[in-house]
This record gives sequence, C-alpha cells and structure tokens, in this order.
Amino acid sequence: MRVRIPGLFVLLAVVLAGLIHIAAVLALPLLAPKKAYARLVPLGHANTMIQIPATAPGSEIMPMMAPDVRYAFCRFDLTDGPVRLRAAVPDDLWMIAFYTPTGDNFYTIAGADMRRGQIDLVIARADQAVAEAGVDAPEEADDVVVVNSPETDGIAMIRAPLAGPSHGKRAEEALKATYCGAKSR
Amino acid sequence: MRARLSDFTTIHPLAPALPRLRRRIETGPSMVTLLYVVATFLVALLLGIGSARYMVERGSPLTTSVAGPWSSWIYEGNPSADLYTKAHLASSGRLPLTSTMARYFLAGTDSQGEPLVSSCEYSISGTPLNARWWSLALYDEGGSIIKNPSGRYSFNSEEAVRRADGTYHVTLARHARPENWLPSGADDQGLVLMLRIYGPRDTDASGTGIIMPASLPAIERQACE
Repeated sequence: MRVRIPGLFVLLAVVLAGLIHIAAVLALPLLAPKKAYARLVPLGHANTMIQIPATAPGSEIMPMMAPDVRYAFCRFDLTDGPVRLRAAVPDDLWMIAFYTPTGDNFYTIAGADMRRGQIDLVIARADQAVAEAGVDAPEEADDVVVVNSPETDGIAMIRAPLAGPSHGKRAEEALKATYCGAKSR
Repeated sequence: MRARLSDFTTIHPLAPALPRLRRRIETGPSMVTLLYVVATFLVALLLGIGSARYMVERGSPLTTSVAGPWSSWIYEGNPSADLYTKAHLASSGRLPLTSTMARYFLAGTDSQGEPLVSSCEYSISGTPLNARWWSLALYDEGGSIIKNPSGRYSFNSEEAVRRADGTYHVTLARHARPENWLPSGADDQGLVLMLRIYGPRDTDASGTGIIMPASLPAIERQACE
C-alpha cells in the first residue's frame, strides 16, 4: 500500500510544527530582550538598595507598574557571601518579594507577618553558612530570617502600596531608610 | 571498473522497480516534490511559531483564567509555573508577585467584548474585593500610564469613593466626571485596565488567591466621541 504524497507532507508539517512550537516556547525566556531583570540591572550596583522613582507617564522602568505603589529593590549578588536586608516597615501593606533573574518569585514576606514592624533578613545560597562567629550577636540571631536563594543573583523587591495620593512622600522616606548590603554591617 | 546499475538487476529482489528508479535519478527530483518540501517547511514554521506566540501572548485555558473582560495568568511568577507562563512572564518585562500573594487581572475590552478606546467613556462598577489591598489602574497598550493634568492614574481600595451599599463606581473618560474619575488622556489610543489584588483572603488548597468572577467589576461603554 502506498502513502499518498500530500498526506505524508501534511503529517510531516504537523510534526515539524509541533517541534517548532516547543522550541519557540523554550527559547522565548532566553531570548526575550526586555526581561524585568535586564531592565533593573542598569539602575545601579548590586547589593545596594535602589529606589525606583514614582511611576510617571512614559518613563516607567517596567510595563504596567502600579502608579500607587512605591518600589525599592536590591539586586543581590551572593558571590562574596550572604547579603543582609533590613527595613523598618511602617505599615502592614508592605511586601518584600524575592526573585530569580528569570522572575521566579521564590519567597515573599508580607508586612502583616512581620514582628514589631522590623525586618532583618539574610539572603544566602543553601550552601552558604549564615552564622559566623563574632558577626551576629547570639540574641540577634534569633530574629534574623534566612532567605535561601536558589541562585547566586536575584532581586529583592520592596512594594509599598499607598493608602492615598498624599502618602507617597512618607513611603519614599521609609524606603530610603531600608538597607541592603554586606552581611557584616 | 565502475559497476553499473544494470549489473545488479538479475540478483536484487527489487529488480523490477529499478528501471523506474533509474529514470528518477537521471531526471533528478521533480519540481513538484521540491515545492511540497518547501511548502511543508513554511506551513510548519507558520503553524509552530504562530501557535506558540498565541499561547504565550494571549494564554490558553491551561494558563489563564477568563471572567468577562478580565483575564489572569494563574501561575505568573510561580517558580513551578509551566513553560507558557514562564515565556509570557519573560516577554512581558514585568516582575509580578506569585499568585499566593497577589492576583493580577487585565482587561483590554469592555464587558461586551469591544476594545477599550480613549474616545469612549466607560462606567466601571464593582463590589469590594476580599483582599488586603487592591488597585485599578489604566494604561495605554504599551503598558505606560496615561498623562493627564490631574495626575490621576488609578484608584485603590483605600481611596476609591464608595456608595452607601459598599459598591464603587469609576468613570473612565477624557473629561472630568464626578465620583471616581480615571482620565483616559488626550491621545486617541487603545486602553488596558489592570486590577491588582494584593493579599487575597480566599485561597485554594495550593494557596493560590481565589477571586470570584462575579466580584470583578463590569465595564460598560457609555457615550463615544
């Protein structure tokens, strides 16, 4: 029995289309030129807190940022050891979210879950020792939250949702007082 | 000494087919076959890339939930998200919170399915959402907020004026309107609404925030210019 040639080509086209479909979906995250991480990197050095200016028409860092949320982020690089993030959180609405460079939100702390409005945390890879003798006072170590990062690089993004237009200044000042940097400080 | 095809005709089981094969080799592949091959590759390329783009940009029932004009990528930002969601996230350029912390709903049309445009006026009305904080913001098609003299780009749960029955009504219009006015700007362009809901209180077994479709606001077109 002979397979008719057009039928064979239709089958080939469908199989080939399937392969191209899978390849395109797999390649897209790698090829996308405007990933959020690539937009944040040029804004400043690693391991320091960077405030994103209030969203203004035409000058957004990322598309669809909330005009009524103030943002600050720390691009952490754990090559030289764990990184510390400290913030006095003025209200329950704040959220601190941790991302891999591809945008996986692997951990988030909500303001409502923080004790005494103070957050003190250490970002470390699973294989990095966090407690070093003489660096952390023992009583302090109890309160420190350790965030295990799956990758050496990533983003810690603080979101400060505003209760109204007049709350912007206060949120910006509170974000300015946050710290991200070497663990020993 | 070169062996010729005819030398084997007496011993090979496919011998009767050989004259036809020889004719083929002598004339080369036919034009028709070549056309079929080229067409197959073109069709495969078009189908493969077209379907991939559609499922990454627009979503599918596997990745997105749709309720009226609103659609939401369910596993956006989730480290264990599927490949379509990850590809969508990468090409969107956004850095969303995972769905256990927040839900994002996008609308590019009104409740009747007509595209949102700045030359029309819309009435958006809904009931309060069961979440810690929510915000309804307006963007152009590029995801940028729209310049307007009053500097008003969104309404959130803390600031939207509500009626006695707890419902809120936002008017999307070019010129000032009473109650909650979301200005759509002077330029003629398509519009996109985003409803971001932080800390949804109802969750499913996996912790994903649940937003009842009925609690999402309706978008009704009013007058057009």
